[in-house]
Amino acid sequence: MKFLAEALMYAVFIAVIGLLSVWPPYELVEDDRAIISLVFSHAGDRITECRILSQEELNKLPPNMRKPSDCPRERHPVRVELRSGEKTLYQDVLLPSGIWADGKASIYQRIEVPAGRHELFVGMNDSGGSGDFDSTNSVSVDMRPGRNLVIQFDDEAEQFLIR
Amino acid sequence: MIERIHRTGRALFGALRRPMARAFESAENPLNHIGAMTVFFLWIVLISGIWLLIFFRTSVSGAFESVEYLTREQWYLGGIMRSLHRYASDAAIVTIFLHIVKEFVFNRYRNNRWFTWATGVPLVWIIFVLGITGYWLVWDELALYVAISSAELIDSIPIFTDSMAGNFLSDDLLSNRFFTLMAFLHLIGLPIFLVFGIWLHVFRLTGPRINPPRRMMAATLLALLVLSAVYPAISHEQADLAMTPRVLRLDWFYLHVYPLIQLWSPGWVWALLVGVSSIIVIAPWAPPQKKERAAVVTLDYCNGCERCVDDCPFGAVEMVARTDGTNYSHQASVDPDLCVSCGLCVGACPTATPFRTRGALVPGIDLPDSSAANLRESIITAGQNKSSPHVIVFGCRDDRQLKDLDAAGISYVKVNCMGQLPPSFVDFALSRGHADGVLLLGCQDGNCSYRFGAGWTEQRMARLRDPMIRSRVDTSRIALGWHAPWSDNESAVKKHEAFKRALER
Repeated sequence: MKFLAEALMYAVFIAVIGLLSVWPPYELVEDDRAIISLVFSHAGDRITECRILSQEELNKLPPNMRKPSDCPRERHPVRVELRSGEKTLYQDVLLPSGIWADGKASIYQRIEVPAGRHELFVGMNDSGGSGDFDSTNSVSVDMRPGRNLVIQFDDEAEQFLIR
Repeated sequence: MIERIHRTGRALFGALRRPMARAFESAENPLNHIGAMTVFFLWIVLISGIWLLIFFRTSVSGAFESVEYLTREQWYLGGIMRSLHRYASDAAIVTIFLHIVKEFVFNRYRNNRWFTWATGVPLVWIIFVLGITGYWLVWDELALYVAISSAELIDSIPIFTDSMAGNFLSDDLLSNRFFTLMAFLHLIGLPIFLVFGIWLHVFRLTGPRINPPRRMMAATLLALLVLSAVYPAISHEQADLAMTPRVLRLDWFYLHVYPLIQLWSPGWVWALLVGVSSIIVIAPWAPPQKKERAAVVTLDYCNGCERCVDDCPFGAVEMVARTDGTNYSHQASVDPDLCVSCGLCVGACPTATPFRTRGALVPGIDLPDSSAANLRESIITAGQNKSSPHVIVFGCRDDRQLKDLDAAGISYVKVNCMGQLPPSFVDFALSRGHADGVLLLGCQDGNCSYRFGAGWTEQRMARLRDPMIRSRVDTSRIALGWHAPWSDNESAVKKHEAFKRALER
């Protein structure tokens, strides 16, 4: 009898282990939804352009600090916008990283959208102000359920990649 | 407040333990070996992991394929090993949780025990990260989810410029090197920290129990083998970076926090994890417990026999060179920062004898707040109750059933831990007519507020360990009533009655 009780205790233990290792299932995305991942790191333009120092200005500096140009490090924030047709899916102003605000601005956003066809537009302004976008891309995509569409920015080609 | 939480926790723990106490002998009850069971599960994880490593390939496509090979083609061995690896890891989380709860509710984490308690926290982190990186290596849909969510969590720490999570969005960004890195972390890096962490965790304990009884190990391994054979661990579909997994069979033991990353935000999840860990670390001082004074050595009576050093469960007593000019080579020395005032050293001291006729009862080592002299007085007082047969019960200070004895008008003498009672005091109670019988109602091994109290007492009474009960003592008049005060199926009063009836016979 004692043996059976002991066996029962072990059975309960492994049942709990077996059950909670897979159950209950977790629904990450609903059946009729898809994901757009907007992911990139991009450095905005410098706020102030580099300036060549005059000889007179250079002479005023200590000898070990006589760099020929003065380049303030601070960069513009990066404004980014993602739309599906007329609907804005995401819009934000990304601040440059670093304590001198001279690093890249980064974004990592996973946006859930209904499955189906989407007329996507993505735009970015990296030169300051609220004017036009400096880089844009538009594409018509079929977002089948569960699809993960990735939007990145290629710094070398200076364009958005949508795949 | 904290005492109320402890009491409630003990009652809940007792409710869990009660059915187990019916099924298992005390020495075989897994709840008395929770810490050692965790180490045993980690052994299973290690051995099964070595088998998996032999076949595992550290590349984007090879990782999934090699695990699938083990699961499907080599199901009879590799599949079983994989399942054992997973289920033993899960079981370790259960025992770790119970271990933390038990140490907390039985108040075994405050004062000088803070170090052992606090060093358990990084161990828990290491084990969770080990488990999480293990899921990552399978590179199925669950692995992709774990990878992205973990990366989101790491990205939320504002020290990284580029997004780590961005690496898991397209195939061309993911490299084989990444799997080599994860395999290194899972197989070498983290296990090294784990072994060091376990060493640090038990560093202050004398004779830490890291292996459960063999029968329990065999039964547990058999149970896990049955589970692995009946319900083998399988992978999800292979990770596809162009798709988002929709429904996942999460391992809730390791991944319970992950849904919160989506539900709340990574920042709040960090706040939760760091907050809970911090609360656990500072728990020994919230609020600080009134500390009994540490044991003190009186050199006039210390002959340097070393028994206190052998019996101290916390390594608080050591032998040092003699300082009083007597002929003994060594003397005992107590480190107050390690002493928890359990009194086991007093129980081991041969000079702690109540029969002393000259001078005050001052043993070589004693507790200032619960002295041997007070113990003798308590026996004399308890002996004044002249029921027949008269049984004096010795009970541990933290035993809640003592108040039941009180209510029933039964004489008892309180000790810090049963191991504090030198056998000569039992002899004293019986031979000087203070009692017809002595019931030692100590806390069962695994339920002791300190450590070794039951084991040392049992050996002393069985004349297997110094100081032994003298041969003139009729041991049939001594009953050892080890019990778990919070989950006993039999009350202390009933044990007392049963012993009285036995004495009458």
